[in-house]
Amino acid sequence: MAVLDRAAKSLLLAELVTGMALTLKYFFKPKVTVNYPYEKGPLSPRFRGEHALRRYPNGEERCIACKLCEAICPAQAITIEAEPRDDGSRRTTRYDIDMTKCIYCGFCQEACPVDAIVEGPNFEFATETREELYYDKAKLLSNGDRWEVEIAGNLERDAPYR
Amino acid sequence: MLETLLAHPYLAHPFVAGYVVPTVIIVVQILAIVVPLLVAVAYLTYAERKVIAGMQLRKGPNVVGPFGLLQPLADGLKLFAKETILPAGANKLLFLMAPMLTFILSLIAWAVIPFDQGLVLADINVGVLYLFAISSLGVYGVIMAGWASNSKYAFLGALRSAAQMVSYEVSIGFVIITVLLCVGSLNLTAIVEAQRTIWFAIPLLPMFVIFFVSTLAETNRTPFDLPEGESEIVAGYFVEYSSMAFALFFLGEYANMILMSGMTSILFLGGWLPPLDIAPFNWIPGPIWFFAKISLVLFCFLWVRATFPRYRYDQLMRLGWKVFLPFSLFWVALTAGVLVTFDLLPKA
Amino acid sequence: MPKLTVNGIEVEVQPGATVLQACEEAGFEIPRFCYHERLSIAGNCRMCMVEIKPGPPKPTASCAFPAGDNMEVFTDSEMVKKARHGVMEFLLINHPLDCPICDQGGECDLQDQAMAYGHHSSRYDENKRAVTNKNMGPLIETIMTRCIHCTRCVRFSTEVAGVDQMGLLNRGGEVEITTYLESALDSELSANVIDLCPVGALTSKPYAFTARSWELRKTESVDVMDAVGSNIRVDARGGEVMRVLPRLNEDVNEEWISDKTRFACDGLKRQRLDKPYVRGVDGKLAPASWDDAFAAIATKAKGLSGEKIAAIVGDLADAESMFALKQLMGALGASSIDCRQDGAKLDASCRAGYLFNSTIAGIEDADALLIVGSNPRWEAAVLNARIRKRWLAGNFPIGMVGAPVSASYDYDQLGAGPETLSQIADGSHAFAKVLDAAARPMIIVGQGALARADGAAVLATARAIAEKFGMIQPASSDAEGNEVPTWNGFNVLHTAASRVGGLDMGFVPGDGGRDTAGILEGAAKGEIELLYLLGTDEVATSGIGDKAFVIYQGHHGDQGAHHADVVLPGAAYTEKDGLYVNTEGRVQMGFRAVFPPGEAREDWKIVRALSDHLGHGLGYNTLGELRSALIATHPSFAELDEAPTAEWGAFGVSGEMSGDAFASPIENFYMTDPISRMSATMAECTETFVNAKAGRTGTEG
Repeated sequence: MAVLDRAAKSLLLAELVTGMALTLKYFFKPKVTVNYPYEKGPLSPRFRGEHALRRYPNGEERCIACKLCEAICPAQAITIEAEPRDDGSRRTTRYDIDMTKCIYCGFCQEACPVDAIVEGPNFEFATETREELYYDKAKLLSNGDRWEVEIAGNLERDAPYR
Repeated sequence: MLETLLAHPYLAHPFVAGYVVPTVIIVVQILAIVVPLLVAVAYLTYAERKVIAGMQLRKGPNVVGPFGLLQPLADGLKLFAKETILPAGANKLLFLMAPMLTFILSLIAWAVIPFDQGLVLADINVGVLYLFAISSLGVYGVIMAGWASNSKYAFLGALRSAAQMVSYEVSIGFVIITVLLCVGSLNLTAIVEAQRTIWFAIPLLPMFVIFFVSTLAETNRTPFDLPEGESEIVAGYFVEYSSMAFALFFLGEYANMILMSGMTSILFLGGWLPPLDIAPFNWIPGPIWFFAKISLVLFCFLWVRATFPRYRYDQLMRLGWKVFLPFSLFWVALTAGVLVTFDLLPKA
Repeated sequence: MPKLTVNGIEVEVQPGATVLQACEEAGFEIPRFCYHERLSIAGNCRMCMVEIKPGPPKPTASCAFPAGDNMEVFTDSEMVKKARHGVMEFLLINHPLDCPICDQGGECDLQDQAMAYGHHSSRYDENKRAVTNKNMGPLIETIMTRCIHCTRCVRFSTEVAGVDQMGLLNRGGEVEITTYLESALDSELSANVIDLCPVGALTSKPYAFTARSWELRKTESVDVMDAVGSNIRVDARGGEVMRVLPRLNEDVNEEWISDKTRFACDGLKRQRLDKPYVRGVDGKLAPASWDDAFAAIATKAKGLSGEKIAAIVGDLADAESMFALKQLMGALGASSIDCRQDGAKLDASCRAGYLFNSTIAGIEDADALLIVGSNPRWEAAVLNARIRKRWLAGNFPIGMVGAPVSASYDYDQLGAGPETLSQIADGSHAFAKVLDAAARPMIIVGQGALARADGAAVLATARAIAEKFGMIQPASSDAEGNEVPTWNGFNVLHTAASRVGGLDMGFVPGDGGRDTAGILEGAAKGEIELLYLLGTDEVATSGIGDKAFVIYQGHHGDQGAHHADVVLPGAAYTEKDGLYVNTEGRVQMGFRAVFPPGEAREDWKIVRALSDHLGHGLGYNTLGELRSALIATHPSFAELDEAPTAEWGAFGVSGEMSGDAFASPIENFYMTDPISRMSATMAECTETFVNAKAGRTGTEG
């Protein structure tokens, strides 16, 4: 019986017909294309986009130059230099991310003990030159200022799962 | 006004009446076929993108013009504006001849296609043979392109194409013989007329399927698009082509698809005939039926492309020689036997 | 010899050993914070708990419990694990969780042990206590909230450094480590408490927040700030030396280094010579290419006879470059070469006459000490700790001839100058009886006694003392037949890392050659026309610049470079591989941690390249070939890391000694060489420790 069954399936092109039926079914389904850049798809709160350095609500930068992000970075994209600030606190004098090296793994934000370095929801940061992708501290802090509302919201939404 | 024009004494001149006027008429007829054909080719590319997009839950081109309808024109314009690159190591003459050959061959086949009763440019008695011959010649364009490009990818693509076309023409030949046995004529109009009672697709269903699959292979379409094989040999035989030379290949390929769809319609789907010769159906003119049937077959071409992955080369050869050839041979014998046994042979 | 089992493994330990040592012997790691091999036992962190049978049914602090016969020790039983968990939880109750901003993070005992032996979380919900930070001077940063009161720092400063300035105040939850009246820790070894601190309570101030332990490239090397040759580890990041840490070497520095060794490394970044300079017609030094610099030298040296050429090497030179320079000078026919830029009357002919023959570790075997013209605390701080260690053990009379110093042990001030020495030598001094009574007496002669006109006579007198009081003893056997090893109690304490190496290879005036003073005199008179200074910064070259053509090869734009006509940028000790011979005659190898800045090159390469331009190409192209040549002519350089025993012989020249008192060659411990003179940290230390004591007030300026 099995032989007959197989022969019948083969001769009647059952598999081909099944496959074509499937594609035909999809042909009539609603389409998922969105009209980017006017429409955008939904983003997870865990989305790992462009980096940003955050500040505390009082304007103090969060980063304490512990260098854990630099240590964990598998692409070695982060460079940090630190020294005591005038008030004696530990701060970075240099915080560079080479976005051309970054692989967006998110280890830096996982490693950060103070939620200072985060990968925000922004994914539209293409530039015309490579040099513009070598982010320095000022650029990262300004990213943080620009995206703070979204970043804080994302962190809050993701907090219950951490 | 037209009558006065036709009554003009110059037209009465024997040379004009004997040569010039028929030539003008033929040229007009050719243009009447070629221009809509090229428009159809353009919109076939549009349809292909739309159909495949639909099956992949996408929308396809929808930005240029309403529903993206101007996309083919934009593509054409782009190709036209591009630089034609002649590879330094190429055989220049053959390199340029190849796309022209492909394009011309895909057009001249249309001379014998009947769009309706009597609506045919050349109603010759060996229409099927002519078509068969022209479609076989198509492989020369590919081989010339592959060889002249002086590129390993192009050469591999051309070799694959040649072997593939030869293999599948054999079974196509047997399929056509089966149809011819049932019709008793090589004239395409006669073949269509023979299907008044029933389309050959129904009694000769297995042959219809084999013919459709073989046309896929003959036109280098998925799942038999090994000559192009973009994932392995980048673009096969036209890897070195750009701009209008590439466009000619492209047009030729798609014109061939339409031609093969036309052949399928004529041989198995009753050409311009309505499905049933009753009231609402036979109000619709024949060319529209013919066009609808071509569209249906073309949709199947695209549908297949959206569904199946590419064959491996040994699988392709196995299918051609070990499955289709014996099967169609057997079916020729069977059809002939049935026709003779039940005395159903068409009377000449 | 008690025999006991640890986790079923039988071990036999020295009598008096602790259970912790027995466990180490058996190969089991016992976590600890307060216990340290070189400090007294405190037993206050309770981290080293083990279970001992037979005994009370509670865990025992293994560091303070003597190992006994037939004990059964368990280091990983349930009881022990529970005890460690509990102790760790208690320790962490008041320890802030600020590891990310703590410089100890990544190399912290508490962090590591909390990972290995601690709980994953704390059950303590109340507020943590905070402690105000203490001032411990310019070297030690304090974050006292992190302190776990192990008292290692207190014990170190009291026992090893010999300054009773640290202590534990209050009791219970109020307990605090503090310094006496918030004063800076006044010791040359003070910064070793940074290494000892198992947490981040005491950290390095100059290094604060600049690097993480995991970023650093660690290179094991040798210190050149004094002649002890402390074993160090140079931690570098990129092209920058970030810090210097001690390396364990029981025979030299145990695990201490002086503050100068540790902190002078920031001087490596300032005032560096990073390209060659040639003095132009306008009398100003202008940057030049190596070829130009060499060409200028070659032009000057052309046709110059040997007696018009001289060379002096400085204190930081490595043996290879000195050897290359000596060979080059020999090829030029120059015999006026000297490695004793301070003019010490050391005799290169007899090796025992300029070595620290007892060896540093050998101090612990001595039973009487006579210090002549030296302040070991400043000249060799780590060696001084060894003297204190011996003194603490008791029965160690110390006599001092020279200027009174603030030492970390009690001594008898015998006199100030040579006349006291003569009295001891002829036996008329009271201390002569002490030396007579001692079985293994030793004498330390400092550079303060030798770098003077009558230095040779002082040396001869010291030799006479050594011979008279039985400081030179061949191997023998005592009444019970036990072997008594040889003893050589005659010691010269050097202050320059290059000195012994230079003397070993005979970098001293040859026949008819001039010594340092003679060279300078000759140069001032125009009798020396070409003077080569290899890192020589401590001689007065200001007057000779216009008379003689001076070549300075070195790494800092210090005194030597300012008066030179050609400056060749060399490498500092962290930037080259090199051999150094310490005051004991121990040959040690230093390794390159970073590359020299700019166009600066390793020193032997510069001499080698110059030799080609002078037409006397030296026959080696790699450091290996150079070392082979060095060892072939001076086999003593082949014995790495061994304190040699030198043949006793005649040295020194008997003669009249002047009545002048011996003065220490070091006026400021923190600034003795170009590197430490350029160091901002050392400048701060000078301000805090030296100038403050000299009576300066804030109004001065």
